[in-house]
Amino acid sequence: MPRILLVEDNEMNRDMLSRRLIRKGYEIVVAVDGKQGVDMAVEGGYDLILMDMSLPEIDGWEATRQVRAHPNGKSVPIVALTAHAMAGDREKALAAGCNDYDTKPIELSRLLEKIEALLKGSPA
Amino acid sequence: MSPRNLTTVAPRQAALLRLTTGIAAARDEAELYQSVVTGLHDEGLGYSVVAILLVDEASGDRVLQASFGWPDVPDGFRLPPGQGLSERALADGRTHYTPDVHREGSYRPTRVTGSELDVPLRVDDRTIGVLVVESADTDAFTDEDMEILEAAAQQASIAIGRARLLEAERRRADERKALLDTVAQLSSDLELPRVLESVLERAVTLLRVTGGEVAIYEEETREMLVVASKSIGKESTGTRLKVGEGAMGTVARTLEPLIIPSYHEWLGQSGQYSDTMVHSVMAAPLLIGRRLVGALALLHSDPARVFDEEDLRRLNMFAPPAAIAIENARLYTAARRERQYLETLVFNIPVAIVTLDRDDNVASCNPRFEELFGYTRAEALGRNLDDLVTDETTRAEALAYTQQANTKRQSVHGMGRRRRKDGAPVDVEILAVPILMDEEQVGLVALYHDVTELLHARRDAEAANAAKSQFLASMSHELRTPLNAIIGYSEMLQEELEEQGNSAHGSDLQKVQTAGRHLLALINDILDLSKIEAGKMQLHLEDFELRPMVEDVLSTVAPLAKRNGNAVTLTCPPDPGSMHADLTKVRQMLLNLLSNATKFTKGGSITLTIDRENDSGSGEEMVVFTVADNGIGMTPEQMDRLFEAFAQAEASTTSKYGGTGLGLAITRRFSTMMGGDVQVQSEPGRGSAFTIRLPAAVRTPQKG
Repeated sequence: MPRILLVEDNEMNRDMLSRRLIRKGYEIVVAVDGKQGVDMAVEGGYDLILMDMSLPEIDGWEATRQVRAHPNGKSVPIVALTAHAMAGDREKALAAGCNDYDTKPIELSRLLEKIEALLKGSPA
Repeated sequence: MSPRNLTTVAPRQAALLRLTTGIAAARDEAELYQSVVTGLHDEGLGYSVVAILLVDEASGDRVLQASFGWPDVPDGFRLPPGQGLSERALADGRTHYTPDVHREGSYRPTRVTGSELDVPLRVDDRTIGVLVVESADTDAFTDEDMEILEAAAQQASIAIGRARLLEAERRRADERKALLDTVAQLSSDLELPRVLESVLERAVTLLRVTGGEVAIYEEETREMLVVASKSIGKESTGTRLKVGEGAMGTVARTLEPLIIPSYHEWLGQSGQYSDTMVHSVMAAPLLIGRRLVGALALLHSDPARVFDEEDLRRLNMFAPPAAIAIENARLYTAARRERQYLETLVFNIPVAIVTLDRDDNVASCNPRFEELFGYTRAEALGRNLDDLVTDETTRAEALAYTQQANTKRQSVHGMGRRRRKDGAPVDVEILAVPILMDEEQVGLVALYHDVTELLHARRDAEAANAAKSQFLASMSHELRTPLNAIIGYSEMLQEELEEQGNSAHGSDLQKVQTAGRHLLALINDILDLSKIEAGKMQLHLEDFELRPMVEDVLSTVAPLAKRNGNAVTLTCPPDPGSMHADLTKVRQMLLNLLSNATKFTKGGSITLTIDRENDSGSGEEMVVFTVADNGIGMTPEQMDRLFEAFAQAEASTTSKYGGTGLGLAITRRFSTMMGGDVQVQSEPGRGSAFTIRLPAAVRTPQKG
């Protein structure tokens, strides 16, 4: 069962997304802010990270950079989640070290496609 | 030493030639006298004591001009009237020979011990001086000596006469120049008529004519205006002549002087002079270089008198002073107008202006300066400007402006804060300009424009704008978060119900989702539009392939098309190539057009076409996207407001067809930002075609 770290501060979003992904057969571990997300990510053991970009403490872009800077975080796939398809957000996320990017509200089928592709080891 | 005898003829002839040459070569009287005595003393002639004395007209004294053989007597030595042997030659204008000076009653013992010859120097029938030749021997001079010396005196006299004439001529030339200089100084226009009248007066007197006129050429009207008139049989001042009319009008056209022997028989005569006693006329143009400034005319009313070339020559003497006076008056008037204009400007302009001398002290200032800084003119004059309007905090900055303008001799422009006399700060825009005259800096002019209000307004506007942007950003975030939950949970519920095989609430949940997504789209569009309007929307340019991009867009729009039974076709070359633009925005624009097409078309066809063309104006390569449908179409009135925000063709359209009504407004603004445009063709009931044209290589982002 693939193990996914979901870093998301909004409780409803966290609850909703984790429940839907669990139903699709993933194991979900949650972090509620950027700092916790980094701490957990660098411990290792995740197949993929879903990283919200607007997080308290440290934001998603910075959290991604910190994960990538750690030996344990170099290769884990990270998908950025942003609130709005702002021009430049995608580039910013990719530049910070994310493998892919999706916008909220989540369209589950689209997100699943991206997750599947990354887990298979090939880009979406 | 005795004069030589006749056997020495040849050397004597050579000496005489040298004497004549010396006299002719003399450049002034002093050189002339010197060359006479030197020439006579020449060993070919051998006169040992020679002197030239001239009569000083004021005192009657004879004054020594040059001598040889009188070692103790300096040039300029004076001999009072009635004294000496030379007196006789002066008295009767004849040569007097004294073979033995001791036998003469008027002789006073001097160094002359033998004989003396006194030859008068005569110019214009007047005896002006005497040539004195002495010898230590008695009866030393022969008839031939007398001939030689008389010839020498005659030559000297002629030369003196010529030299005096030249001198007089030179003096006259100097006087004329002085006259011209004086006239040149009479430059006010009030004095002009007076100057011209005096020029006319003198011309009339000198040429002994009946009368005359002076006219000024007016460039604006292209007419000659008579400004001075004398004895022409009527008061003609104020008369206007067209170029070509009458004598002065004619010379104004030809720019050549003119003599008219009989004016009333002359074809060119002006009707304005038919009532005058003019018989013959002479006129000359007044020129500055080849530019006409006026004309001068003189006339005879006496039929017996006619002008000749000599009169014309003399008339021309009066033309330059008159022309210069007119020109100077014109320049003076122009300069005064210019000055008045500038003074009015400086006095009334709402910008503080202050001029500084070489030491940066205030030389002058305008009322706005007094008002802005609170100093009266009297308080400011002579004070160092930076002392007046700065304090410790701004002093260095102000000094830097002054020094920059002074050292670089260039205008310096900037913003700064200065202090009024009462200590209150003023925000000013500053311009410091060095004043250069003939390459030399003579001072500085500083301009202060009060921007306090402007800065406040700008700060307020910036603050308001920042607040608005912040509000919109947080609003959209705050709105989206609960919306995400609504959309997400309703979707999740629907999934769960479907999994449980319960479809009772499915369509209700679908409605919640649809409404939620519409609300979200609306929020996103409003946010986009606000960002565009605030100038905060940025372009993120990248290279991308067109085909994958449009295929992505088409797949997104496919479900919508299917819902209304529309067939969507892509028409483009197998490889439409790539472009350099903002991918996200191009995609959003195409999605807007395509989703509009699917909304307003039922069971029809929608075509997306991609083309490339060169812009007819710039020649730039453009990528052209066309979205055509055969849906409901629009009337021209509907098309007019199509690209305005919240302007769907009918207010009811939104509720009927969905959409935010902002898509086209955003699409148009995006294409403008990328240097392109959007156009529409439509017909009610036949369908619509929207065309987006974008540069294949979008350049520097332009504000939308």
